[in-house]
Amino acid sequence: MNALSPTPSRAYDLNFARYVYENIDGGERLRMCMQCGACSGSCPIGQQMDHGPRKLFMMIRAGMKEAVLTSNTIWNCVSCYNCVVRCPRKVPITYILHDLANLAVREGFDAAKKADNARFAKAFMWSARKYGRTDERLVTGIYYFSFGLVEGMKRGMGNQKIALNMIKTKRMHLGMPHAIKAKDELQKILAKAQEIQDRHGKGA
Amino acid sequence: MEKKIGAYLCSGCGIGEALDFKALEGVVTKEFKKPVKSHECLCGEAGLAVIKADMEAGEVTLPVIGACSPRVMTDRFMFPGMTPIRANLREQVIWSHPAGDEDTQMLGEDVLRMFMTQATKVNTPVPYTEGEFSTTILVVGGGFAGLTAAREAVKAGHDVLLVEKKATLGGHAASWSAIVPSKPPYHDPESNPLPKLIEEVKASSAIRLVTGATVTKTSGMPGKFQVELSHGSTHTVGAIVLATGFRPYDATKLSHLGYGASPDVVTNVEMEAKLSAGKVHTHAGAAPKSVAFIQCAGSRDPNHLPYCSSVCCSVSLKQAIQLTKADPDVMVYVIYEEMRTPGVTEEFYRAAQEAGVIFMKGRASKVEGRHGITVTVADALLQQDVPLGPLDMVVLATGMVPNSTDPDAPAQEYGAELLNADINPYPTEGDYKPAASVPPGGSLLNLQYRQGPHLPMLADGFSDSHYICFPYETRRTGIYACGPVRRPMDMGEAHEDAMGAVLKAIQVIRNAAEGMAVHPRAGDLSYPKINLNACTKCRRCTVECPFGAIDEDEKDYPVVNPTRCRRCGTCMGACPVRTISFDNYTVEMLSSMVKAVNIPDEFDEKPRILIIACENDAYPALDMAGIAGHQYSSFVRILPVRCLGSMSALLISDALSVGYDGVVLMGCKPGDDYQCHFVKGSAMAKERLSKISDTLKSMQLEVERVTMVDASIADSARLPKVIDELVAKINAVGPNPFKGF
Amino acid sequence: MSRTLTYYPGCSSQASAVHLDKSLRAILPPLGVQLRDIDDWNCCGASVGHIEAGHLANSALSARNLANAKAAGPEDVVTPCAACYLNTHYVNESIRGSEQLKGDLNEALGVVGKSYDGSLHVRHICELLVTDVGLDAIKAQVKKPLTGLKVAGYVGCQTVRPFANTERANKFDSYDDPTFLDDFTQACGAEALPFKMRTHCCGGSVSVMSPDKGLHLIKELLEEAQKLGADVISTPCPLCQTNVEMYQPEINKRFGTSFNIPVVFYSQLMAVAFGLDPVKDAGLDQNIIKSDKLLGM
Repeated sequence: MNALSPTPSRAYDLNFARYVYENIDGGERLRMCMQCGACSGSCPIGQQMDHGPRKLFMMIRAGMKEAVLTSNTIWNCVSCYNCVVRCPRKVPITYILHDLANLAVREGFDAAKKADNARFAKAFMWSARKYGRTDERLVTGIYYFSFGLVEGMKRGMGNQKIALNMIKTKRMHLGMPHAIKAKDELQKILAKAQEIQDRHGKGA
Repeated sequence: MEKKIGAYLCSGCGIGEALDFKALEGVVTKEFKKPVKSHECLCGEAGLAVIKADMEAGEVTLPVIGACSPRVMTDRFMFPGMTPIRANLREQVIWSHPAGDEDTQMLGEDVLRMFMTQATKVNTPVPYTEGEFSTTILVVGGGFAGLTAAREAVKAGHDVLLVEKKATLGGHAASWSAIVPSKPPYHDPESNPLPKLIEEVKASSAIRLVTGATVTKTSGMPGKFQVELSHGSTHTVGAIVLATGFRPYDATKLSHLGYGASPDVVTNVEMEAKLSAGKVHTHAGAAPKSVAFIQCAGSRDPNHLPYCSSVCCSVSLKQAIQLTKADPDVMVYVIYEEMRTPGVTEEFYRAAQEAGVIFMKGRASKVEGRHGITVTVADALLQQDVPLGPLDMVVLATGMVPNSTDPDAPAQEYGAELLNADINPYPTEGDYKPAASVPPGGSLLNLQYRQGPHLPMLADGFSDSHYICFPYETRRTGIYACGPVRRPMDMGEAHEDAMGAVLKAIQVIRNAAEGMAVHPRAGDLSYPKINLNACTKCRRCTVECPFGAIDEDEKDYPVVNPTRCRRCGTCMGACPVRTISFDNYTVEMLSSMVKAVNIPDEFDEKPRILIIACENDAYPALDMAGIAGHQYSSFVRILPVRCLGSMSALLISDALSVGYDGVVLMGCKPGDDYQCHFVKGSAMAKERLSKISDTLKSMQLEVERVTMVDASIADSARLPKVIDELVAKINAVGPNPFKGF
Repeated sequence: MSRTLTYYPGCSSQASAVHLDKSLRAILPPLGVQLRDIDDWNCCGASVGHIEAGHLANSALSARNLANAKAAGPEDVVTPCAACYLNTHYVNESIRGSEQLKGDLNEALGVVGKSYDGSLHVRHICELLVTDVGLDAIKAQVKKPLTGLKVAGYVGCQTVRPFANTERANKFDSYDDPTFLDDFTQACGAEALPFKMRTHCCGGSVSVMSPDKGLHLIKELLEEAQKLGADVISTPCPLCQTNVEMYQPEINKRFGTSFNIPVVFYSQLMAVAFGLDPVKDAGLDQNIIKSDKLLGM
């Protein structure tokens, strides 16, 4: 665990909420949330969320840090931006959920290690960092095997037919991963960005 | 001048095709022996010229116009110095009944008979204009609303007598640190406007300022009120604006919210004092780092104030913003069930959110601890009980109690009794008990009225007679309430309210001087005249008048104060000996109109049902039924009345004795959410109806023959069905045995 | 009149959405648009980069692309991919709106001697077609109208949300009820079905990583398209195309359905309608579920 944000000692201690307002991308609009629920009501997979954005945002105010950062709400977001365009208070909900997920990753919550989205994101960024581009074969492969060898094999087999279809239609190639020329340059930029990020917590 | 009646029938709008005009003209010439002229478009220039020519030639002084409803074309059919009689052949005859039909024709002829009869019975009203009329406005209360009223009255050219109980002006608001914003962008608390307003009022030579005084006695009537003040002076004023404001709800009753248990649980008023003092401290002297506002403290609670005071949310927003601005680290919570931000105060709510105030939706169920207070919140958004604390301070957002009584004066038993009767003068259903909310205390104006010293109140103790339909109007004509004594409101609203009440005061001053009524019969020159020779001193008129217009003299005879009167005729309907009448409106006139209808023989199988319709809502709703083409039975005959309150019970027995098969009273909804334009006229009619069954029994008639129907202006589609059902029901009872006698 | 714009193809152009890239490169020149690829473009981070890398590092991906684009010229950057558009446009607008972010990103770019001033305009190709090219120009190129082809226009999410109705996207369409795709369909001479699920989500990358969570969403889309009797579903979004197409056998297995509805890109329809080669230019051979009707046109 790597605590970046303060952990409230009592209900509605505002120190976590204030951290979110100041350090999460779009977080400064969160204080304008009026709990109308347009977000949770608009979410295509809201029923699969434990809390949904509306309640999650109230939990932030209530200082329920751990419950927020272990909530499946931040991992289940499908990035459809329905909530963002419908929010009457212009809260950039999707961005906030993504950045909260990133906070959960950085703070090292167990749930953040296990979540599908976190594993997938890890595989995805590995490819982006290493090659400058995402290789769909490698990303899914690494993602599958993040569940262990047996589960990885199982998932791979399960998707064999899809992969075969993709190969047949020349939408999945068989050679080396596509890569950019200046891999080194990109990696340097990313490393520097990471460093600035760590220096002051966020980018905006 | 001799009255010369002439009838003018319009054949336009399809009336000529639907009715037999020869027969109609025959009614006028043969039955009434009066001249009649028909025209294809009476409201057009040519049609009007026909009437005007006859009037100018002196051949006709009172035209009876058989055309459209009296509610339309009023500007066209307006002749100098008189109001024509209108027989409604369009909306209530040809538009609501089949054309060329025998029964429609009979209806049209009867309508003409009724209104020709009315013409023979009306006299031109002679208005009351005796004596001197004052144009001075008395403003009672020197708070924000009263000061604004005084200033605005002067701007409109009136002298003002401003009476304030305290030694200083400004009321509650004078000590406020800042106020809820009243101007765009409604984002920041605004500076208190009171100091400037007080200076303006003090500087005005047209305002006579009396501080440290109360009104000890008020007698007279609009235009000539006699007012005595506690320090001994007396004044004559034309109208009174009541701006006595509010008092905060008594927080000692809120021990369940910790008030009294901890010195750091304070009310919003006490917090305001701390903010005014410049620095907010806890009892121990420290700057608070966590503060919770509890909304609806003692409001919307059947055990306390049952109503919403509408300002407490905005005030808490303001104080929360002030606290966070003074110290950005302070944690401020607002515990609310519904955040009520009327109008653009929603913007102010946003400002509080921007400032970082945390809003918790839920109810504070427990407040514990003397220092480091914990509030247990049943959090509706998290769906769990949340212990909020330790808190340095808790602010209870308490509501407004109207100063519709003087809390410092002893409650008068006589007054209190009457107060209850006034608040709820009608038989109500269920266990509604409004008396609990009547603020204790003595009368404010000590009215020397037969109906008592108090201003009648609405159920929650506010001095108004209808929030929506008649704002500012108390049930004492010429006395207009504004500000929080009328309903809970913020200063922006109180500002508008003061102007509204002043305009009402100016209207009554002007109308009274010309003998004209004010709302809702604005301009009516008639007023009740009582033939004391016939009076039995029964006191029904003095008790039933909704506006306390009739007093009693030393011999217990009724004394009408004409400018207090709203001309509803409730006194006329109340009088058991028909001795109260208006120049142009009498029981005799109504009775003659009822009797003017031809009642067919029982073997004709054409029943006749009299509808006595209130002209404020029921009559226009029936007009609209016609406009919409809704059809209903042609067996009904509609008699418009000023208010069902003016309907004498004798009218019903008159109708039944001449052979009508049934009577339907159609008026506004009575009760605690009444729609009656004269507050309790329809309630009085209902009461009279409840006593009529004895009369019916003595006439050997079935009680089903007489019914009352609540009608609202929106009932145009419903009423035709109701009428048809009632006609069928009365038909089932069988023909009236009095027919033909 | 021909103009050259900077083109950001995105990673899917080399993989799952090769046929989008191919068909666009075929239809844009006749419409007067020449494409010049961003030099050595890299991944945008899509929907998940942020979660792993964080806001600034994820933004740095787009910043490098923008720096390279600007170095080549001031022309507008256009991209056909919903996620590429969303990320690149967002980062570009964020740089324009925040001196702090602009400074941070330039500090990062600075380590390799690059910089970006926020002066470009990042646009979706569909917006370009609506605003700059126009329907009349598209219609003018139609040589083989797709008469009788019933098309369910499936817009998806990120092509229109959260930017379609903003000033910087020229307010080219609405968030909930966009019509541009139906306009494209009709311009090609085909029938645009009243497909009310047009902006419902396919689950995006969640459907890729956790089919259990997202497949019912795709099933609902397919059901609606089937009910309307769609010959093909048309979409502008690479991930929508892949998700809705490749999962049909799996959905049939799980839900007992029998979907076999071709899912094509609007640009493939245009290529066919423009009379271009159905395979070489439209890339119809690269759809897993083939549309015989379309191939026969």
